[in-house]
Amino acid sequence: MLLPKFEFYEPSNLQETCQVLAGLKEDARLLAGGTDLIVNMKKRLLSPANVVSLAKIPELKKMETSGDSLTFGACLTAAEIARSEAISKNWSALAAAAGSLGTPLIRNLATVGGNLVSARPAADFPLPLLAYGAKVRLKKSSGDRWVLLEDFLLGPGQTLLGPDEILTEISVDSPPPVSGAGYMKLGIRKTLEISIVNVASFLSLEDRHQTIRAARVVLGAVASTPIRALSAEKALIGEKPSDALFMKAGEAAARDCRPIDDFRASADYRRAMVEVLTRRTLAMAREEAGSRS
Amino acid sequence: MKEGPMKKLISLIVNDRVYELAVDPNVTLVDLLRDQLGLTGTKKGCEVGDCGSCTVIMDGKPVNSCLVLAVQAHGKSILTIEGLETHEGLHPIQEAFVEKGAIQCGFCTPGMILSAKSLLDRKADPDEAEIRSAVSGNLCRCTGYQKIIEAVQAAAERMQKTQRE
Repeated sequence: MLLPKFEFYEPSNLQETCQVLAGLKEDARLLAGGTDLIVNMKKRLLSPANVVSLAKIPELKKMETSGDSLTFGACLTAAEIARSEAISKNWSALAAAAGSLGTPLIRNLATVGGNLVSARPAADFPLPLLAYGAKVRLKKSSGDRWVLLEDFLLGPGQTLLGPDEILTEISVDSPPPVSGAGYMKLGIRKTLEISIVNVASFLSLEDRHQTIRAARVVLGAVASTPIRALSAEKALIGEKPSDALFMKAGEAAARDCRPIDDFRASADYRRAMVEVLTRRTLAMAREEAGSRS
Repeated sequence: MKEGPMKKLISLIVNDRVYELAVDPNVTLVDLLRDQLGLTGTKKGCEVGDCGSCTVIMDGKPVNSCLVLAVQAHGKSILTIEGLETHEGLHPIQEAFVEKGAIQCGFCTPGMILSAKSLLDRKADPDEAEIRSAVSGNLCRCTGYQKIIEAVQAAAERMQKTQRE
């Protein structure tokens, strides 16, 4: 399987990358881990005349905790994120999603930024990041902007990213003291699986009364982008966590989603599994919050 | 005639040997290894990152060499299956694969062994779940997984014993 021909660029910093991109106009593709781009090029779904590698840009590999947030570079690999102690401790659902992407071999190449930019409805990274309220930084030569990940993802393969822009960083706030999250992915097998349904939940509790102060339930593979189950979130806020409440939230989430029938699963099955995964990820979130209180 | 994209000069280490080469940008690492360096121990199966038969260890990490461009291997150190054997003979993982009957057709074996090596480099005494997870990106179509797991366990024991001696 041969790759189409292309010119290869390997800039060593972001400014240079922006200039290269601006100069090449639209017939260029950014290469991060290559686990999507190279495959799509081999299948001739894409054949850009120019490929710009991000591999030699140290800024895209940074991870910084500053006060109340964590900012990390878009070119960190899934394996690096899954093994990061800081992420496993404070953003466990993100580490879990990173560790369930692809295979161990893929995880050594695939990057978090690439996973976001590819914008597949069943992708692993967007879910916990949406549950944690992540922002992404988009940079081009004329400046940069931070946008909510929720606003960034528009549809299958569709994002806010302009042709001359690079997703450079992702930022998540530090979780409040009594909070927790959970991520689950349902597939037919454990590895190299595209989710039938995936769900991430986040709960933040009041210190004293243990009522739910904030809740986010994010559903994957049941709409054209990952979506928030807003009525499930509404059902949770202000209540005390309990199995009965999580059951109710699961039912609400099943009503919130808009799955389709395809060769992986029927819409009915997906809806039923949204209910189960919502319940279970909420229980995971409650358990983590409990361990932190 | 229209000229194609320029070749790029790269320098990389493969199995402790330095190579300096001119490569086309659209050549993948697996093709460089097999076609230009003659290292055909690295296999080509699916060519899209699904099967793991092209596994090599790049700067200490196992990766699908069908998804890495040869130009991206510039400055990197690559270990292929050919780099495991020493003048003392086969690597203990290779020996264990032979002894335990973990090889049937052999096509997945180089990738399996490199994934296993990368696990054992990181963790000398992995449990069964860790072994299964470590080789989960390597498909065996002869359904020989059980013996592969047993071979990795045997190799781990042997390597720990050698280290103690």
